[in-house]
Amino acid sequence: MIAEMREALESVLGTDVSEPRLLAGGASKEAWAIDAGGEPLLLRRAAAGVIHKHTLSLADEFAVLEAAHEAGVKAPRPIAYIADLDGREAFVMERLEGETIGRRIVRMEGLPSELPVQLADELAKIHAIPRARVPFLQEARLERMIDELDEVGEARPAIELGLWYLREHRPPPRDPVVVHGDYRIGNVVVRADEGLVGVLDWEFAHVDEPVRDLAFALVRAWRFGVPAKRLGGIGDVEPYLERYNELTGLDVRPEELDYWELAGNVGWAIGCLTQMQRHLSGLDRSVELAVLGRLGAEVEYEICHLLEKVAA
Amino acid sequence: MSERPTAQELTEAILEFLGGEILPTIDDQRLRFRTLVAMNALSIVYRELERMPPEDDAEQRELARRIRNGDVPPGTLERVKRDVAERLRIASPRYLETY
Repeated sequence: MIAEMREALESVLGTDVSEPRLLAGGASKEAWAIDAGGEPLLLRRAAAGVIHKHTLSLADEFAVLEAAHEAGVKAPRPIAYIADLDGREAFVMERLEGETIGRRIVRMEGLPSELPVQLADELAKIHAIPRARVPFLQEARLERMIDELDEVGEARPAIELGLWYLREHRPPPRDPVVVHGDYRIGNVVVRADEGLVGVLDWEFAHVDEPVRDLAFALVRAWRFGVPAKRLGGIGDVEPYLERYNELTGLDVRPEELDYWELAGNVGWAIGCLTQMQRHLSGLDRSVELAVLGRLGAEVEYEICHLLEKVAA
Repeated sequence: MSERPTAQELTEAILEFLGGEILPTIDDQRLRFRTLVAMNALSIVYRELERMPPEDDAEQRELARRIRNGDVPPGTLERVKRDVAERLRIASPRYLETY
């Protein structure tokens, strides 16, 4: 299978390709490191038998990456989409040097202090991508979270409380924009010298409230064990919010960010259950997914903590 | 309090992992034997859990249903947080210390 892949890649890329090396990573997509004509590339390929609702096909993900790259977002350069690579769809993009593992990023020596501002810079550029450039992107609704919870069918009073608060206190809607959908530490490439060098994992891109995307990086689970630094375990929220407001002119208030931080936690608490369900249903058997069903209690605790804060 | 994955479902997932992903990679005969023994021990736990009566989650279901309908009397948040903390003492006890 690796030999067939390599041969197909050589014909698509028109150059010598090294033997593909499978990297550790996601269950839904394979990631392979290759070198083509001396250039380090990354191959993303669909995994066997995994079907996801609400995530982009690799063809659409590639198109979003192209749009982002065009808009000047720091993202890996898209190289080629391949509809059939040894039986599955795939695409090739630039392989950026740097750290992507959240736990390592928050503990990096000499992490540049401008990282929060850099995160705001890239997000503002993403939110400025014209919707007409990526017309296939769907508009998301907050209500979808309830459907997802009901599909799992587990009783979770803390999640219900979060959903109840979100229903009762919804801020005035803002014009929807193109969003990344999973914008946080863990989905960006960081280097000690330059800070943010690339935004990865575009499979959750959609059209949504901009502040929802802005607040996702604050979710405690994505602070990787450094909870005191509210922005992804790497810094303060204030410079991030200030720069985002400056670039977009949106004038997002801190309370609005609080609201969407709660929404991010509710979404991830439900996400833990849907991941667990993938294991229990037999779709994708894995201890990692199974145990997420229990670790979701951490996120539920954070929901209670945030609700206490807003009630105080 | 009942919670999924149940303890039995978790042991099942670990058994599948050990048998499907770890065992085939072990060449050392002694380690291979000890892994099989460990899997056998885990199978005992699995079968023992099978004989335990399922826990009743009716109370949590009723609470969730009431909140969904907007019935959130004072004290609800405190009660829900206590229940979550109780589950965390099993699932992730050190997490509580981070607050």
